[in-house]
Amino acid sequence: MITKRTFTAGLLGGVFALAAGIAAPKVVLAQDASNYPNQPIQIIVPFAPGGASDFAARLLQNRLAEILGQQVVIVNRDGAAGNIGMGLAARAKPDGYTLFLGNVGTVSINPHLFSDLKVKPLEDFIPISIVADTPGLLISRPDFPAKDAKEFVEYVKQNPGKVNFASPGTGSVNRLEMESLALEQGLKMTHIPYKGGAGPAAADVMGGHVDVMFVTIATAINNVKAGRLKALAVTTKERVPSLPDLPTMMEQGLTTRPSSSWQGILVPAGTPKPIVDKIHSAVVETMKDKTIHERMAASGVLAVSSPSPAAFTDYIKADSQQWSSVIQKGNIKAD
Amino acid sequence: MELFNNIVLGFSTAMSPENLMYGFLGVFLGTMIGVLPGLGPVATISILLPITFTLQPEAALIMLAGIYYGAAYGGSTTAILVNLPGESSSVVTAIDGNQMARRGKAGLALATAALSSFIAGTLATILIAVMAPALAEVALQFGPADYFSLMLFGLIAAVILANGSVVKAIGMIMLGVLLGTMGTDVSTGAQRFTFGVAEFGDGLDFAVIAMGMFGLGETISNLSRKESQSDVMGEVRGLWPTWKEIKSFLAPALRGTALGSCLGMLPGGGPVLASFSAYALEKKISRKPGEFGKGAIEGVAGPEAANNAAAQTAFIPMLTLGLPSSAVMALMIGALMMQGIAPGPQLLNSNAELFWGLIASMWIGNAMLVILNLPLIGIWVKLLSVPYRLLYPAILLICCIGVYSLNASALDVIVATFFGFMGYVFVRLRCEPAPLLLGFILGPMIEENLRRALLISHGSPTVFFDRSISLTFLILSVLLLAIMIAPAIRTKREIAFQEEA
Repeated sequence: MITKRTFTAGLLGGVFALAAGIAAPKVVLAQDASNYPNQPIQIIVPFAPGGASDFAARLLQNRLAEILGQQVVIVNRDGAAGNIGMGLAARAKPDGYTLFLGNVGTVSINPHLFSDLKVKPLEDFIPISIVADTPGLLISRPDFPAKDAKEFVEYVKQNPGKVNFASPGTGSVNRLEMESLALEQGLKMTHIPYKGGAGPAAADVMGGHVDVMFVTIATAINNVKAGRLKALAVTTKERVPSLPDLPTMMEQGLTTRPSSSWQGILVPAGTPKPIVDKIHSAVVETMKDKTIHERMAASGVLAVSSPSPAAFTDYIKADSQQWSSVIQKGNIKAD
Repeated sequence: MELFNNIVLGFSTAMSPENLMYGFLGVFLGTMIGVLPGLGPVATISILLPITFTLQPEAALIMLAGIYYGAAYGGSTTAILVNLPGESSSVVTAIDGNQMARRGKAGLALATAALSSFIAGTLATILIAVMAPALAEVALQFGPADYFSLMLFGLIAAVILANGSVVKAIGMIMLGVLLGTMGTDVSTGAQRFTFGVAEFGDGLDFAVIAMGMFGLGETISNLSRKESQSDVMGEVRGLWPTWKEIKSFLAPALRGTALGSCLGMLPGGGPVLASFSAYALEKKISRKPGEFGKGAIEGVAGPEAANNAAAQTAFIPMLTLGLPSSAVMALMIGALMMQGIAPGPQLLNSNAELFWGLIASMWIGNAMLVILNLPLIGIWVKLLSVPYRLLYPAILLICCIGVYSLNASALDVIVATFFGFMGYVFVRLRCEPAPLLLGFILGPMIEENLRRALLISHGSPTVFFDRSISLTFLILSVLLLAIMIAPAIRTKREIAFQEEA
């Protein structure tokens, strides 16, 4: 009993402390970067533990703490496609003690999908650096009559409206990748949305219930290697080392732009420049870590960083623009 | 002989002092959080995930798995003692388990839960060891149309859960289905019944409703009942069940294991669905269905075995295909990825030690749970002698803490309070909360799979009859309906109802 109470009390203490940190009023103080950081830093992850964003955050957590010399705490605030966590992070005190682990969905896609979204990522945050980049794969059920993306496009053109594609959600990057391809190539397909991550959707492609989908390489790669899923193309600019024989969408002439699922670190707007720079160099240093590279590579994820906060800002602008145009042209709505 | 070698490899991995210790730590923590309402395995595993980062992959997974099935196990303790399901999977255990406790058989109920879970754990472990890859193939065969028919069957079976009026049971199921429609629509992304509150975007949390209806609602109605405590306590006699008692719950435990093993593999349902259906099955085949809801030992053994078996077979898709069937399994995959092990079908060969070590640890963990819990039963039962003026405020406080800890959201506590009052009103109206909860779980899954199946078939409803799995469940549903409508059964039910009234 005693152990249980202590365990609970400890947990609660933590929860209350975090809640207090999140709810703290937004007061901008002129901070001296020389004594930053002198208290623990929290990273708000807007998704549940175990997902791709959580994976990236937890992998860099320890090394970042080592470099900054302060504890780094991960706070998972999931809900509403990541918008709840993003809102909390945007309203946090811009003192460098609250970081936001944004991704392609929250930062580049949601602002164009959710008309009532109060957060404007590029105004409410200062981008620091990208940290993880996950290529997408175009996969199909094992017995689908196409061996590459080109044949797939031909097949859909000959059978308009007959092919079904799965996605991990209505506003997911994987859905938009398919919508983008459909727009560019003039394809007619039926969208079958799933929830609860890419797992259930990929399982239905594997089981032959749905024809194709775009999915992150991390979800599909081992089942592709085992022959349970067919990979038709990869979404990156160059071929990926883990599947060297797999051609890219671009080299098959199906699209002019690469796409991927990415995660990156952002801080609330108003964070003093010296602190922004300090966090940036710490993140860049963190992403050089060999263990992080190895662990990410095992799941097909690339450990990357941005040369400067400005470079990451430009990256987000271009990415956001790309998905905004797909959403507008495809008349895609989340509400 | 390969299987034998694998099992030896598994046990030698799981029995190493370090892994044994982490296994124990896992089931111990699991039991504790299972007892604490609200705080579930998902929250605990995510809190402990960073710690596993520094462990060996085997130790990490063994500990996390221990937390998971330990929680499914510990959740039944408070369900039986104070009608407060610590975990969603123990909601059903509360129905008859708590009635047993009220009749002075708390010790027997706890021992039944412990032994049934152990039987289920052992058999499910063997099942995974022998046929995990083959079973994964079966799970893949299930498409959206098949899920729809299976869930429909489950929803019809939910009527059996009710002890009293069938009409009230159907009403409660429908209310649960309606509550389940709250949140973001999967197919269109539309916000339904969210009242502009972003936190409602993902719908209501099962634990919030369960805590409210059971924990808070029950406490209020107990206060109004003015029951003298001695009645509830009764005499607490020997804890170890007699051979006759063991015989009476052996068959239900085995049936529960079979049912739970099947349902655990399928995504979505898992332990919760397994425990509900096992209860419905036991009640349907029982010669004395009138005893259900009044402390039937089968109503504890069946669901407890089922939820434990399901908790274990849920590992099959994760281990053999790298595909999570639930939030907990997604966490396990996350833990593996942190270790630099990409989940997938290659795991069986590339990480044989991990694969078989985990399976062996499941059995060891189940044995530990029994060893850990049987001596504790005496202590738990003494909890009932805590005076109500202390026990009730404590339950209310623990419920609020548990609900708050789910998402660190005050809104959840307010919602739970609302359902607390609803729960009280339902008690007064003699409406039971269990069918509502099953409707709440199954409703959204039925809708999702119905729409998905029709999208895939491009609007043709024949998809439900063309597929043999789906057709089988539809035929079973019709049969079940026929049995329920059959006059003889109805009279029997009315007699049972009159007896109760």
